Amino acid sequence: MTQFDGQATQQLFEKNLITENQFKEIKEYRSLNIFSLNVELKLLLSISVLMFTSGIGILIYDNIDSIGHIALLAILFALICGCFYYCFKNSKGFQKTETTTESHFLEYIVLTANVLTCIFIGYLQVQYEVFGTHYGLATLVPTIVSFFCAYYFDNKSVLTIAVTGLAAYVGLSVTPQDIFNGNNNFYANQSLSYSAIMLGVLLILWTVYSFKIKLKTHFTLVYLTFALHIISIASISNLYSYDLSWILFSLVLAVSSYYFYKVSHQLKAISLYVFMIIYAYIGFNIFLFKIFEHADFDDIWVLFVMLLPAYFIGSIVLFIKLIKKFNKEIAE
Amino acid sequence: MIVHDKELLNNLFLTEEADSLERGGFISKEQKKIIRNELSSFKIQNNILVRLGFFLLGTFLYSSICGFVSLIGLSAEGYFFKICCFLFAGIGITGAEFLAGNKYYRHGLDDAFILGIILNVGCAVFILTEDFKTGLTPAIFIAIASFLTYKRYLHLLSMVIFCLASSAVLFFGMFEIGDIGKTILPFAVMLVSAGFYFFTKNRIKNLKEVYYYNGLLLANSFCLILFYLSCNYLVVRELSAELLGVDVKPGQDIPFSYFFYAFTFIVPAVYLFRALKTKDRIMLWISFATLAFTVFTIRFYYSVLPIEAALTIGGLILFGIAFFSIQKLKNKESGLTFKPDRINHSTAILNAETLIVASALGMKPEVKAESPMEFGDGGFSGGGSGGSF
Repeated sequence: MTQFDGQATQQLFEKNLITENQFKEIKEYRSLNIFSLNVELKLLLSISVLMFTSGIGILIYDNIDSIGHIALLAILFALICGCFYYCFKNSKGFQKTETTTESHFLEYIVLTANVLTCIFIGYLQVQYEVFGTHYGLATLVPTIVSFFCAYYFDNKSVLTIAVTGLAAYVGLSVTPQDIFNGNNNFYANQSLSYSAIMLGVLLILWTVYSFKIKLKTHFTLVYLTFALHIISIASISNLYSYDLSWILFSLVLAVSSYYFYKVSHQLKAISLYVFMIIYAYIGFNIFLFKIFEHADFDDIWVLFVMLLPAYFIGSIVLFIKLIKKFNKEIAE
Repeated sequence: MIVHDKELLNNLFLTEEADSLERGGFISKEQKKIIRNELSSFKIQNNILVRLGFFLLGTFLYSSICGFVSLIGLSAEGYFFKICCFLFAGIGITGAEFLAGNKYYRHGLDDAFILGIILNVGCAVFILTEDFKTGLTPAIFIAIASFLTYKRYLHLLSMVIFCLASSAVLFFGMFEIGDIGKTILPFAVMLVSAGFYFFTKNRIKNLKEVYYYNGLLLANSFCLILFYLSCNYLVVRELSAELLGVDVKPGQDIPFSYFFYAFTFIVPAVYLFRALKTKDRIMLWISFATLAFTVFTIRFYYSVLPIEAALTIGGLILFGIAFFSIQKLKNKESGLTFKPDRINHSTAILNAETLIVASALGMKPEVKAESPMEFGDGGFSGGGSGGSF
C-alpha cells in the first residue's frame, strides 16, 4: 500500500489500542522500506527443482535403450551422491523435533536427491529388473528411502512423496489431482476401498504413536490430511453400492468424521475441520437419498422442491454455528 | 452507493493491520484480541476454504429458491421463460441486500448471491435480445451490472468480471467495425489498457477512502496483464489466423512481426525492473507470469530444444538465478532483501509448495500388467509438470 501505509497503525495508536513504544517500533521498521523476495525466491527454487527432476526423468525414460545405460546410470548416481553429500554435510543430523537449518538450499537439495534416487531405482527396475517381478518392491524401496529422508532431514515435501509411495504400494493413487478425479475407481473395486480405509487407519495410528513418543509431531497434519481424504472418499464412493455394504461404509464415515472432529480441535487445524464437515455433509445427503430411494417420487416431488430452500437454510445456519464454535474454541 | 457501514469498513482495515502486526511480532496475541473485541466487525470469513464452502451452500440455496419460483411459474409456460432470469436476478438482489444488511461481507454466502445477480442479468439480456451473432449487448449489460454490484457491495470478484466484460465490449465493438477494426485490434487494446493503467494508477494515488483501494488495484493489475497480452506474438498470430483468416506459410510471417516479437520480450523485462525498482509485489508476480508466457510463446513456434533438455537446463538456470540472488540478498537488512518481511510475510504460498510437489512428483501405483517392460514408477516421469514451462 502506498499512502495507506502506516495510516492504520496511526489510527490504532490514536484509539489507544497500541502503546507508544510499539508505534515507534513499527514506524522504525517501516522506514527500513523492506521489500522481501523471500517467498518468490523460494518458489523459484522449488520450480527449478521440479523442472530439473522432470527433465531428468523424461530424459531417462526416452533414452532407456539408446544411450549407454551404464554411462547414464553413472551420471545419475554421481549426481545423487553429490546431493546427498551436501545434505549430510549441511544438516544437523536427526532430531526428534522440528529442525531449522542455516542453509536456505538444504530443503530443495534433499528433495532433488530424493526424487533422483526414486528415478534411479525405477530405472534399475525397468532395465535390469533388480526386483524381478516383485513390482511392489520397486515402489516400496523408494518409499522407504523417502521416509528416511523425510525424517532425517525434516522435510515435509519429501514426506508427502513418501506417503503417496506408501499408498501406491497398496494400490492407490493419492496425488491431489488423482484422488478427486476418481482414478482409483473405488466403486468397481471394493477390496481397494478396504485397503484404502486400512491405510488411513494405519496413518492415524502412526500419528497417535508419534505423539506418544514425541517423534516429529509437526508431521501429524500431513498424515491426517491424507488419512481424512483417503478414508472419506473411499467410503463415500461406496455409499452408492447396491448391496448392503453401504451401511458399513456409512458407519466408517460417521466414525471417521467424529474422530476428525475431535482431532481438528486438538490440532487447531481448520483445513481438517472444513473438509471433515464437507465430507460428512455429502455422506449425510447420500444417506438421506438412499433412504428415500424407495419412496415414490412421482407424488411428492413438488413437496420436495418446496422443502429444498428450507433444508439449505437449515444447513447454512448449522454450518455458521459450527464454524463459529470452532473459531471460538481454537481462539482460547 | 455503498451498502456497507463505513465505520465497519474502516474497522476491517484496522483489524487486518492488527493481524499482520501480530504476525510480525510487534504486538501480543492478547492485544490483538482486545483490538478485535474493541472494534465491531463484519461477519467475515478469512479462511478461503470456509468461504468456498459457504459459497457452495449459498449457490445451492439460491438455485433451490429459483427452482421453487420456477415451479410456481411453470403454469405460465413460454412467457415465464422470457422473464425468469429477471426474476432470478431479483431474488439475487434481495438475497444480497438481506445479507449485506446483516453485515455479511466476504463471507461466501454473499458471493453466491452477488455473482448470481450478474449471471442472471447476462442470461436475461441474452434471452431477450436473442442476439447470437455478437456478444456485444450481453457484454455491455454484464459490465454495467458487475460495476454496480462492485460499487454497492464492494465485491472484488465483481470487479474481475467487470474488467473481463469491459475488455469483451472492446473486442466485440472492434469486430463490429469490420476488417479494419480487426486489423488494428491489438493496437487499440494496447492503447486502451495503457490509458486505463495510468487512469487507475492516478486514482489510487489520489484515493482518500481505503475501501476502494483493493478494487482499483485489481483493475490496475488487470490492465498490466491485458497490455502484455494485447501485442504478444502468440496471441496476435493466433487471433489474426482466427479472425482474419491470415494463413502464415513457412518462410513468411505476420505483418509487423518484429514489433510483436520485440514487444513480447521487452514488456516482461520492463515489468520486472519496474517492479523491483518501485517495490511493487503484484507487478513482480505479473512479470513472472508474463516471462513464463513469453517462453511458452517461443516454444510454441520454434522447438529450440527437446522438452527434456529444455526442462533440465531451464531448471539449472532458474536454480542458478535463485542461488545467486539469495547469496546476494541474504545479508541485507533494508530495502531489497531475502529476509522475510515481518509485516507482509505470506506463508500461504510456501504451504502450497508441499501440495505442488505432491501433485507433480507423487508416486502412482504401477499398473499390474503382464508385460515385463512396464515402467514401474510412472509418477517420476513428471508428465504432469511438463507443460507449464
